[in-house]
Amino acid sequence: MFFITYLRRELRRRMRQAVLIALGLALGIGLVVTVTAASAGVKKAQADVLKSLYGVGTDITVTGKAPKAPTPGSAPAKGATQIQVGPGGAKICQNGKCENAAGKTIDHLTPGNYGPINHSKVAEVARLKDVAAAAGGLVLTDMGVKIPKNFGGPGGSAPPSPSSFNVDGVDTSHLSLGPLSAGKVTSGRSLTNADANSDVAVVDSGYAKSHKLKVGKKVSIAGHSFTIIGIVTQPQSGAPPDVYIPLARAQALGTGGSSGKSLKNDVNTIYVTAASASDIATVQAEIKKLLPKDTVTTAASLASQVTGSVSGTAKLANDLGKWLSILVLIAAFAVASLLTMSAVGRRVREFGTLKALGWRSRRIIAQVVGESLAIGIVGGAAGVALGFAGAAIISSVAPKLTAALATATGQHIQQVTSSGSESFSPTVSHTVAVPMSASVTTGAIVLAVVLALAGGLLAGSFGSWRIARLRPADALTRVA
Amino acid sequence: MYQLTDVTKLYAKGRRTVPAVRDLSLVIRDGEWLAIQGRTGHGKSTLLNLLGMLDRPTSGTIVMDGKDLTRLPGTQASRLRAKSIGFIFQTFNLVPTLSAAENVEAALIPLGVGAAERRRRVAAALDSVALGDRARHLPGEMSGGQQQRVAVARALVKEPTVLLADEPTGNLDEDTRDEIINLLEKLWRERGITLVLVTHDTAIARRAQRVGVMSKGLLTIQAGAQPDAVTGPVTG
Repeated sequence: MFFITYLRRELRRRMRQAVLIALGLALGIGLVVTVTAASAGVKKAQADVLKSLYGVGTDITVTGKAPKAPTPGSAPAKGATQIQVGPGGAKICQNGKCENAAGKTIDHLTPGNYGPINHSKVAEVARLKDVAAAAGGLVLTDMGVKIPKNFGGPGGSAPPSPSSFNVDGVDTSHLSLGPLSAGKVTSGRSLTNADANSDVAVVDSGYAKSHKLKVGKKVSIAGHSFTIIGIVTQPQSGAPPDVYIPLARAQALGTGGSSGKSLKNDVNTIYVTAASASDIATVQAEIKKLLPKDTVTTAASLASQVTGSVSGTAKLANDLGKWLSILVLIAAFAVASLLTMSAVGRRVREFGTLKALGWRSRRIIAQVVGESLAIGIVGGAAGVALGFAGAAIISSVAPKLTAALATATGQHIQQVTSSGSESFSPTVSHTVAVPMSASVTTGAIVLAVVLALAGGLLAGSFGSWRIARLRPADALTRVA
Repeated sequence: MYQLTDVTKLYAKGRRTVPAVRDLSLVIRDGEWLAIQGRTGHGKSTLLNLLGMLDRPTSGTIVMDGKDLTRLPGTQASRLRAKSIGFIFQTFNLVPTLSAAENVEAALIPLGVGAAERRRRVAAALDSVALGDRARHLPGEMSGGQQQRVAVARALVKEPTVLLADEPTGNLDEDTRDEIINLLEKLWRERGITLVLVTHDTAIARRAQRVGVMSKGLLTIQAGAQPDAVTGPVTG
């Protein structure tokens, strides 16, 4: 075919220029593919963190409104436990009765910064239109504080550091939803409906390893002994709960933090699956209407709660990476267009001759655009290869990203000093390492092809514009 | 047949308007060989461009076989050029990346001739200029004379009715010049085409049926040396 022969010969003649244009496009497209792959990798890391927190299949989570922190000096709520530290030493106070705290251990199971939601609301949410399933859960923290014997007195030891671990109360009748759904049992078994009222626990593999726990061993939760029936691993080592127990047992043992109320009829998290992905926004609005005081979040908005290098890398990929790619692409397109126009300028006599032979401008333009497109396609292919290489390099050399999620313990420690009283609420921060894996997606390849064709067409159209304006007599006169 | 009536072509040169061709009226009969002579810049090439529809006159009409070329839309002008008019240039104007055969083939592309027919006609055209053995050679691999012969083959492969040659021997040595002119004369005789040839060379011009001399845009027609010269109704 004459078109192909002419195209091939012309590109061979200006091989260096064609290679330069293709390399420029390849660099720009390769950068776009790499950034897209890195961005997808970061999003996947975020999704893995969130998946381990809320389980697979959860489109929306509803969390109870955080209770107000008590103001310093205010009277404690009924049933709340307070540690008072004064010149006479440390005291544990509950309902106005105080006893010496020296050497004692306090072990409470509290909901942290999630307020309670009445358990009956779970069924109401499940009945909403466009909701496929809903399950309640209690996200709790078991916080143990060992008061030193000489704490509080003159020359006494520093305030005690709480030791804590996360406990999730899991609805054993809806195990396909919630944090345990994404877990893989590596030893023993998972919870079943028959365990609803038993003191049994499933322990996360990371927590089990660090605390040397095995199936059959016991773990103490709020002063009660639970038998470990299984060890579970969550995907990508996200920020999983440390221990899973049946919801009914969590409700029985948990207390409402500073309020000290029982959580017997409460959950503080509802995991919701929408009927379809397109219904998520509608369901979110419906739940907000039903539970106006509580927090309704989707997986997308949860991502913003994750901090640490995952969050930083996501910003880097989305902001710097995106703009760098766009700048390089603009530069590559500009160079391609300028070089194509320059090449057309050098071929004025050739095109004038072709017009004299009866070639219409359209045919000559098609020839030039064809040449530009061919360069664009070669650049695009090289760009995709560069993108794969870039993604592979990122995956192999990038350090593990960290994701941090701060959780309040719900405990309230009040320190009485000569100038008044100070209070603080300890928080537990979970920092997890997430491997960064940049993978080139089909979408990125399609984007690369589109960009390559766009680059070729843009360069070709600048050349074409010049050809369309070319008068054959002028073209022949100028050089003949 | 060409019929030019009161044709004027003006060019803008800075703020001035320069007449390249002035009030030219001329009839060129079918099968006639007309040589155009004149000094550089006196309108010879402009006249050739007007005849080949590479340019349009500022005023006047150019009629070819009953069609007013000055009113022909661009696409129809391209089609007519592709079918009926062959060009030969002083600098050969071959596409440097294409072989001799492909350069000749380029003239058949706008006519939509099939690949097999193209190959046959290209081979015949190259044979007619004695370059059948150089079909695969690139222009850079051929002498000036050979390149001009390829250009002649390119002009004739579509079997035009008109051949417009602008200083076809201007870049050639004396021997090659004679070779090309002999070839053109032979083809003109054999094919009965209308040949309009611009040249500085009086010896070549004398071989035409008529000779026109361009001076400051005005054309003066003289009889040529050909025994079968046609003296038509010529003015200007």
